[in-house]
Amino acid sequence: MFHLYRVRLRSRLLQECFAVIGIAAGVGLLFASQIASNSLSSSVAQLSQGIVGSAKLQVLARDPRGFDQGLLSSVRHVAGVRLAAPLLEANANAVGPRASRSVELIGADESLTRLGGTLVRHTRLAPFGGVGAIVMPGPLARGIGVTRFGAEATLEIGGHVSQAPLYKQLSAHEIGPLIDTPIIVAPLSFAQEMAGLRGRVTRILVTPSPGREQAVRVALTQLAHGRLNVTSTNYDEQLFSKAAAAANQSTVLFAVISALVGFLFAFNAMLLTVSQRRRLIADLRRDGYTPRAVIGVLLLDAAVLGTVGCALGLVLGDELSIQLFHSNPGFLSSAFTVGSARVVGAQSVAVAVAGGMLAAVVAVLSPLRDILSRDPLAAIAPRQLAATRTVTRWRTALGALFVAIAVATLLAIPRLAIVGMVALTCALFLWLPLGLDATLASIARLARKVTSAVPHIAVSELRAGRSRAVAIAATCSIAVFGSVSIQGAHGDLQHGLENAAHDMNAFTDVWVSPAGSFNLLMTQPFPATSLARLQHLASVRQTSVYRGGLLDWRERRIWVIAPPSTARPLIPPSQLVEGNLAAAGTHVRAGGWVVLSQALAAEHHLHIGDSFTLPAPRPSTFRLAAVSTNIGWAPGAIVMNADDYMRAWGSPEPSALNVLLSPGTAPAQGRRAIERALGTGSGLTVQTAGQHADKQHTLTRQGLARLSQIATLILAAAVLATAAAMGAMVWQRRPRLAKLKLEGFSPRELWGTILLESVLLLLVGCAGGALLGLLGQQLLDRALASVINYPVVRSVALPTALAALAIVTAAALAVLSVPGYLAARVPASLALQD
Amino acid sequence: MLELRELVKHYELVGGETVRAVDGVSLSVSAGELLALYGPSGSGKTTLLLMVAALLEPTSGSVLVDGRNISTLSERDASQYRLSELGFIRQSFDLLPGVSTLDNAVLKLLKNVPWREAHARMKPLLERLGLGKRLDQHAETLSMGERQRVMIARALSTEPRLLLADEPTGSLDTQRSHEVLGLLRELCRERGVAVVLVSHDPLAAGYADRVLALRDGRLDGHQPGGTPVQHSVG
Ligand SMILES: Nc1ncnc2c1ncn2[C@@H]1O[C@H](COP(=O)(O)OP(=O)(O)OP(=O)(O)O)[C@@H](O)[C@H]1O
Ligand SMILES: [Mg+2]
Repeated sequence: MFHLYRVRLRSRLLQECFAVIGIAAGVGLLFASQIASNSLSSSVAQLSQGIVGSAKLQVLARDPRGFDQGLLSSVRHVAGVRLAAPLLEANANAVGPRASRSVELIGADESLTRLGGTLVRHTRLAPFGGVGAIVMPGPLARGIGVTRFGAEATLEIGGHVSQAPLYKQLSAHEIGPLIDTPIIVAPLSFAQEMAGLRGRVTRILVTPSPGREQAVRVALTQLAHGRLNVTSTNYDEQLFSKAAAAANQSTVLFAVISALVGFLFAFNAMLLTVSQRRRLIADLRRDGYTPRAVIGVLLLDAAVLGTVGCALGLVLGDELSIQLFHSNPGFLSSAFTVGSARVVGAQSVAVAVAGGMLAAVVAVLSPLRDILSRDPLAAIAPRQLAATRTVTRWRTALGALFVAIAVATLLAIPRLAIVGMVALTCALFLWLPLGLDATLASIARLARKVTSAVPHIAVSELRAGRSRAVAIAATCSIAVFGSVSIQGAHGDLQHGLENAAHDMNAFTDVWVSPAGSFNLLMTQPFPATSLARLQHLASVRQTSVYRGGLLDWRERRIWVIAPPSTARPLIPPSQLVEGNLAAAGTHVRAGGWVVLSQALAAEHHLHIGDSFTLPAPRPSTFRLAAVSTNIGWAPGAIVMNADDYMRAWGSPEPSALNVLLSPGTAPAQGRRAIERALGTGSGLTVQTAGQHADKQHTLTRQGLARLSQIATLILAAAVLATAAAMGAMVWQRRPRLAKLKLEGFSPRELWGTILLESVLLLLVGCAGGALLGLLGQQLLDRALASVINYPVVRSVALPTALAALAIVTAAALAVLSVPGYLAARVPASLALQD
Repeated sequence: MLELRELVKHYELVGGETVRAVDGVSLSVSAGELLALYGPSGSGKTTLLLMVAALLEPTSGSVLVDGRNISTLSERDASQYRLSELGFIRQSFDLLPGVSTLDNAVLKLLKNVPWREAHARMKPLLERLGLGKRLDQHAETLSMGERQRVMIARALSTEPRLLLADEPTGSLDTQRSHEVLGLLRELCRERGVAVVLVSHDPLAAGYADRVLALRDGRLDGHQPGGTPVQHSVG
């Protein structure tokens, strides 16, 4: 068997190389997108696990101000509690001589060390010799420029500014994978002092005695009095996975499409050798080998191709994920602490390798029917060139069925958008041969009107090599399909998010809020001492208090938006999906009413007018005034007025000041006047509404950038795959071209034939892909809008579709024209060497 | 019509050795004449035809068709010459698969004649060749003899002055060979086409106006006794 294999391999090294490259490209894209999507959630999980160690349960505060530390001793007295450790976690802006970074400040005492989490396993948390000091990972320390023992970093936490000396940098050796996470650890008392939260903590981690977990949970819930959350310690990971679901699903979709493109690349390469392969099968069968032995030889082929392809693909994907697909948390970083580490999990490797091997096996075993056939020579029997009537009818019907499935998911169950996309892909594959046949038939008819042999030759050549033609058309088709649907949905989403950002900035001229990029959603409270200072400024017409925060409600970390009652508009007008804008505005302004995003309302079975209890720090009852989109925040949003927020959160602290400027004051001018009035070292940042909207746009674009990058890469891969497959096809055809030369056709005509064939294939493939891609876009739009409630602005991405079609066709033709030209110059004597 | 003057083709092998594939051949064929050229394998028959078809440049000597030197034509003119003045039939059949008999036959014609007219023009010829019932059948389903007849139809479609046939009966049995050769001679004589038929099949001699033998690239003047030349017809 090995001998047979060796003999064959040598005779078609080039094609084997193509196949390996194809598999490698698919595996690479698959692997890179896997890494990108897993890195974020792994990073969140690592931080969470690094802190909690062996703890199983936790008592969580519902706002950044936390709860009284006194609860700790009650928790420790609960029967069955083995260990309990208090934590204060706060978002902070760390400023050093080199730069500033948003970080999570973690205050803990020595009891945390006993839980054995990676973060503090090697750190002493007793106050360092009586003075407060901080430790942080090496990369962060170097980033902000605070590296030496005793060097001071400025920490801005909710309007409190303090100097914190560095005790030491943490090395990868000490904290492992957390090295790339933006965290600063301090002794609990020092952290409380810096955050202005003396005697308060934000969570207590609890390790119950074996078997007592349930009892402890019940006891803790009683202690919490409905004002604190009692959850298991992986709660953060659950919240994150809900928040990142959209991003992860789109990555999965991309991964599937990239894998398909790679598979088709490999499949195309395999088709180049299909006649040799068929002859080999026939030879083996004639010599008395059983089908099983034949399959054995072919599987060996697949194993070799697959292994080499996968190995190359993993290297390629690894490189891609380093160079291109930086996992960018975008908006998520305003609610979760996400590191920049690239996490390569065993699962990513397994998925990518499985995909690659599957592609190799399917491609190699494609003539399976002939192998298993009773007739040993079936593999080289003359092929049916065009599909028979029945096959055509079946294909049409099945394709229609798949499109119907896609439309049904679009209309009825948008949750299953992925299923719809797969159905569209199936329809694409089923209809493509029909589209090609129809196009060839009409070209053949058209050709009768012109005086030239070129179209006749082109049509007959395409018909003769139909399976290969279909495979090539399928390659560009699937790439254009994926690219159009995803780029289209991406554009619509971005457009919608920009509208939401615009609405959120419409009710103020200038924002004053705690510094730090984590505070993009204005969720950090701060003492209102600066309010008075601003009211006397000449350029300020009115100052009001905006409140807002993040609230964990079941599996969702929702965004609470609480503009002052004076805000106009109070409810973002473009974001309403149900209810009357004016009436809802009046209700919310009057108090006791809120606007919820659709998914939240649905999850809690709420209709307009219903009342419900919001699990705020002080649980409060509200009525539903209207239903909105998620206002750009995946887990969902709730809009109430600032006074309601103050009551429900039990704190008068604002999260931002909304400043309306006097008539005639330019925003930039007003901003400078306010900055001067606040003075330096306030820990607050002042930005115009325009600046804040820009920042939101930038972050939106960054978060979505990976989508367009992958879409572009898929197109590029498809162009290469198509051009390579067509180039190889043309090259193999040189003897036939030579024969035409013998008949008196000039190189120019032959070149024309080659180009015409390619244009036909590309156009059929791309047009089919673009058409279904537009349907796919609707499917994704609808899923984003109704499942995650994104404020998607629905459109039909015709320009995107046309551009993809034009780019792929033009690029593939450009690449192909060179081998095409050379092949057309084939010496006629080649025709005689048969 | 066709005249070869001291035609020579030497192939330089990699080792510096020279193969004298055609070594000074002079002959002429007139319109309507069928010349059979005999020779064992490797005697230079194909090489000779390639030079006549302007596919191979002679080492020396010249190929004249109606007094025009073929070996100095540009690539474009050579294509044009092969398309309109030459028919080339070979042992293997270069038919387009998946394409009907009729469409295969008109392939050369389509370059200058609209499809409908080309079809109209080809039908009588195909009927003459006994393919009247096979017009719409796909090429790959035809028998070998039928395929060769389609090739003859294609070769004659542009009404060439000169027809080259390289072992046209090589893959046919005796019966089919007789049919094909008979048709070839008949059609060419009718249309005044000069034919050079190259073969090592003695059968062909029966249809030739003249028979020449080629050996080691040279015309062999001495015809051994009992050679097909004695069966020459016409
Ligand atoms: N491209 C080439 N390079 C080198 N030698 C060649 C080339 N083509 C042909 N020859 C040699 O020239 C000689 C004549 O070849 P040619 O093909 O003309 O013979 P033939 O009479 O057609 O033979 P057959 O009856 O087998 O077809 C042979 O010895 C062959 O090896
Ligand atoms: Mg020969």
